[in-house]
Amino acid sequence: MSRAALVFLLCCALPASLGSGALAADEPALRVLVLDNAPPMSFRDESGQLTGFSVEIARAVCSEMRVNCAFDVVTQSALLPTLSQGKADIAAVGLLETPERRTKMLFAKPYYRSMSLWLARSGVSPGQAGVKVAVVGGSAQEAYGRKQGWEMHPVATHGELGAPLVSGEAQAVLVPMITGISLQKNAAFRQLDLATTVLQAPELGGDASFGISPYRPELQKEINAALERIKRNGTYDRINSRFLPFRVS
Amino acid sequence: MIKSLQAIQAGRAFALLAALFVTAFGAAVVLLALDQQRVIEATSRLQEQTVPEIIRFQRLARNLEQLRQEGERIFAVSSHASRQQSMFVVTLIASHPSILEHPGAAQLARETEQFLGDVVRQAVADDRRPAMRYDEWQRLAARLGMQVDDVSIQGINLANNDLVVATSAMKLARSKLMMALILVGVFLLGFMIIVRRHLIQPLQQINLALSTLSADRPAPEFKPSTMLEIQAVEESICEHHALLIQNEETRQVLEKLANKDGLTGLMNRRHFMQSAEVELQRAQRYRRPVTVAMADLDLFKKLNDTYGHAAGDAVLRAFAELVQDTLRQSDLVCRYGGEEFAFLFPEIGPAETEKLAERLRARCDAMEVPLPDGRSVKATVSIGLADASECPIEIALKRADEALYEAKRLGRNRVVLSGPPVPESAFENEPDTRTASLF
Repeated sequence: MSRAALVFLLCCALPASLGSGALAADEPALRVLVLDNAPPMSFRDESGQLTGFSVEIARAVCSEMRVNCAFDVVTQSALLPTLSQGKADIAAVGLLETPERRTKMLFAKPYYRSMSLWLARSGVSPGQAGVKVAVVGGSAQEAYGRKQGWEMHPVATHGELGAPLVSGEAQAVLVPMITGISLQKNAAFRQLDLATTVLQAPELGGDASFGISPYRPELQKEINAALERIKRNGTYDRINSRFLPFRVS
Repeated sequence: MIKSLQAIQAGRAFALLAALFVTAFGAAVVLLALDQQRVIEATSRLQEQTVPEIIRFQRLARNLEQLRQEGERIFAVSSHASRQQSMFVVTLIASHPSILEHPGAAQLARETEQFLGDVVRQAVADDRRPAMRYDEWQRLAARLGMQVDDVSIQGINLANNDLVVATSAMKLARSKLMMALILVGVFLLGFMIIVRRHLIQPLQQINLALSTLSADRPAPEFKPSTMLEIQAVEESICEHHALLIQNEETRQVLEKLANKDGLTGLMNRRHFMQSAEVELQRAQRYRRPVTVAMADLDLFKKLNDTYGHAAGDAVLRAFAELVQDTLRQSDLVCRYGGEEFAFLFPEIGPAETEKLAERLRARCDAMEVPLPDGRSVKATVSIGLADASECPIEIALKRADEALYEAKRLGRNRVVLSGPPVPESAFENEPDTRTASLF
């Protein structure tokens, strides 16, 4: 009878280990998408290493989940199709959860809160005729602008947003708040002396979360648990202080 | 109160007590479990909801502090670019959802943003303006500092609620546990008292009764017991005692029967021999005189043949009655054979015994025995005496028997005393013929 009990115990243990979902160190890594040239969220440092607030948060979450992460760099416009087609597992980008996006992918719990900024010379307000608005192609800001019927000037990456204004191709820029911080660090941009207005609209601000491939629903629970843990144990705050001037949670 | 209850089965009584205890204790455990649940709920609420809230408050405090620092920086730096950067951060913080959530913080942040925005704009025009407004800034900064403290304390105190709930629940649980322990103690005490009073003490009394149970002592008395099983044992002890008495009586009856001769009511031969042995030894030890005698009803067979066995029995009975009437209290007599009787007379010598025997013979001679059919018969007896103070009973009886034989030979209906002991060889030739008057 003791042998039968042993076999029974083994059979119980096996599914537990299989179903835990935690991948061992030598199992295939999670494919994580990040943006390029979007400081301070996601960029390459002097040595060419990928870093930034989103990237480091993603690394911390992967380490908390005890899995390997393989980072892939994409543009904002390519991000959503790649994820929703299942060619990647996680999008380590601050995505605003919209009804349209909800049909294509899953969302983790938010890891920061954001709003959008309208940067233009004082007197230049949204919706004015002849105002070209620089936005990142494929972003929520672009979608909002098109809906409002503005003239858009899309660019590929966040880092390129400053150039159209400096060159005069665009008169205003609609950016997520954190991108605005890095724009302000640019001296040429600063010299334009643009005024900052916070645009309050549900499509433009709110909770920003990682995206999860619709083919990997089991990742949602694990990522949320890992996020909760790093928010409590100080890891999140350290990364916050490293890249951003205030608490963005 | 316990005595007035009817007796119940011990098993049922203890089952009832156990059920009562289990119910009471179960209720106590359930109440304790409720308290435990409250504590668990409070602590898990603390962990799941309150701690994230506390963290949120801490981050809010941090952002307010950051506002203050950016403001200080605006006053500290001299380059417009740096001021612009700090002002930008101030704008972002003041509009961030984390600040807007908290009405007090939102209000203060808006004020700060407006003030600092003014300062920065004025600084563009006149570089000295900021210094003039520093005092104003310090008041604002102080308010920001106080708001930071308030928010921090608010956050920490969120935990208080849950902790107070948990603490009060634990205190309640502690007092409930104490009550449960007291309950257990009371039950145990009550249980022990009951066991002692209704089981152990009755058992001790039963043990005492059993150890002194005997036919000579009175029947044991028990207090009415409350346990049916104990009562049953006590009743069976009383029954046993009655049985002992019955047995004793039966034994005595049997003994008597074993010692008596059924027809005459006299001792039987066996019993006589036992008693005579004892009496003889006593007499010989203290050197007292003692005499034995053998008597035989004359021509008894002829009487049986003539008048029938019933008549013979009647004669035997009558003679036995006569003997008992004539003899003294201490004399032993038994029916030795069919019509033979043996006697032992303690404390008297042959001479006095002869007188006694003579009296018996005479009375027998005079006796008329009525028969059932109306007739009456007479009988005579021959008696032989022998001194038994210096020889064993068998020898004495043998000599008395020889004297009896002599009496028969001399013509019956007489008493003959045995002479001094004759050497063994003489017995083979002829019996002793000397008369009683030798002594």
